[in-house]
Amino acid sequence: MIRFEGVTRRYGDRAVVDRVTLDVPDGSICVLLGESGSGKSTLMRMVNRLVEPSAGRVLVNGRDVTATDPETLRRGIGYVIQSVGLFPHWRVAENVATVPRLLGWEAARIATRVDELLALVGLEPGRFRDRFPHELSGGQAQRVGLARALAADPPLLLMDEPFSALDPGTRRGLQAELRTIHAETGKTILFVTHDVEEALALADTVAVLEEGRLAARGRPAELLERGTGAPVRRLFGEESLAFHRLATLPASTIARPEDAAGDLPILPAEASLKQALMLMLSEGSDRLAVPPTGEFPGGTLYWADLVRPA
Amino acid sequence: MMALLAQVAAFLAALWAAPHLGALWHALFPALARPTWDSQSWFTLLGEHLLLSLGAALIAAAIGLGAGIFATRGAGRALRPLLDAVFALAQAIPPVAVIALALPLLGFGAAPTLLALVLYAALPVMRSAVAGLDAVPPAVLDAARGTGMGRAGILARVELPLALPVIQAGLRVAVVLSIATTAVGAVAGASCLGTPIVVGLANGNTAWVLQGALFTAWLALIADRALRLGLRHGARG
Ligand SMILES: Nc1ncnc2c1ncn2[C@@H]1O[C@H](COP(=O)(O)OP(=O)(O)OP(=O)(O)O)[C@@H](O)[C@H]1O
Ligand SMILES: [Mg+2]
Repeated sequence: MIRFEGVTRRYGDRAVVDRVTLDVPDGSICVLLGESGSGKSTLMRMVNRLVEPSAGRVLVNGRDVTATDPETLRRGIGYVIQSVGLFPHWRVAENVATVPRLLGWEAARIATRVDELLALVGLEPGRFRDRFPHELSGGQAQRVGLARALAADPPLLLMDEPFSALDPGTRRGLQAELRTIHAETGKTILFVTHDVEEALALADTVAVLEEGRLAARGRPAELLERGTGAPVRRLFGEESLAFHRLATLPASTIARPEDAAGDLPILPAEASLKQALMLMLSEGSDRLAVPPTGEFPGGTLYWADLVRPA
Repeated sequence: MMALLAQVAAFLAALWAAPHLGALWHALFPALARPTWDSQSWFTLLGEHLLLSLGAALIAAAIGLGAGIFATRGAGRALRPLLDAVFALAQAIPPVAVIALALPLLGFGAAPTLLALVLYAALPVMRSAVAGLDAVPPAVLDAARGTGMGRAGILARVELPLALPVIQAGLRVAVVLSIATTAVGAVAGASCLGTPIVVGLANGNTAWVLQGALFTAWLALIADRALRLGLRHGARG
């Protein structure tokens, strides 16, 4: 668990992070969202002491980070940096093994772990293990960066725009993989992005930064409720706010408990209303069948209901 | 490469042949009683010459590299212009002047020669070390810090390996400068290819001067050629 307590960072007399107080609960994904220059990276880098606060303090698991020496602290926190930063003179395997080597793991254990991680991030170990970073595509390099951050199985991950350089398809793929990894490992993740869709796709909670100040925070659905403040409206765009709001609401909540008549297009119960809208548009249908899953008894989703919560 | 090897072979053959060419030297310098240099073997002189140059280059490398590392971190960064000026000045003083100035302090022999050569050859190493270390991408350094490497670890495992190609180029320049300049050490009594020149001058024996000058210049040319070849190779690799 990470806690920022009244954290400020000044450069000269300008506060680029300004009295931020924020909790990231254990096992959750918190997305720091904000425009370029709003202080996201600076705030994140205070967690592993790459930046020291000018005022306030940062606690990890209840302990002030300044109580631990920086090297020890950093070896226990996975960090995916904004510009990837693979070591160009080391092979993929050595890059991934950076922290385990610093921690003095045995060679055999490191080798097993490297292969395990490469497979986890979707890179075939046999093909990629011995490559140098310049032999990777941008997306492959970002995957290696993620594997390097995960190597020593840190309970806490800092990810600074890790997918920023990727095409939308690859990006969605990696977002889905990250969610899977998160579901499997239950790590606490602080994730920086300026992409609102990415934030909604990943976040348990979103923290919106504007000029160094925490302008809003909450679960995506809370954040986008009607009457949300100016910073959020600006960031998500006035005209597309309603559309983004659909992405935060699950389809199952407004499906009518009727048996689906005829052969309607099928929408999975865990899909969002945005996905429902997309399916209606692409299928040219104003109703969708939502089959039963778990608690949900099954039902039919109507266009008229869908436009109301938006 | 082949041309260089051929030249080295020719040079060695000439060193071997010189003492056996008494007839030639007599013909060229009929006025001299002993125109053939035979007080020391040319190979001994060459060996001493190389030992002196490489020793000096080694010391210059250590000093230049140390200064380069110092100038690229922490407090040293502020001193970088000063360090650069000091090293540039050290190189600007002609080695023969350094020897003359150092003689009263260090006495005759190898010591003042080493000093002159080190002052002369440290600048390229220092500059290349600074350039190479400066060129390490900030993102890589950030990643190194972020993964919890210590300062020494970052220097040894990340910065120096990445700066190595540039530093190597500086080292080659230092070695060649040193080889090409060592002959002045003969003035201070250091035994090297320059010795026959100084001894010849002292005794009015122009034949010895000519032989010493010939081999000194030839070795410098070979060193220079090797450097160019090495630099081109370094740029490619
Ligand atoms: N070392 C520094 N010295 C001076 N100013 C800095 C320094 N680091 C960051 N800043 C300034 O602080 C502000 C916030 O920077 P930061 O990198 O945290 O922004 P960001 O939200 O991560 O932006 P981006 O999305 O572009 O990465 C910027 O205006 C930046 O210029
Ligand atoms: Mg940033």
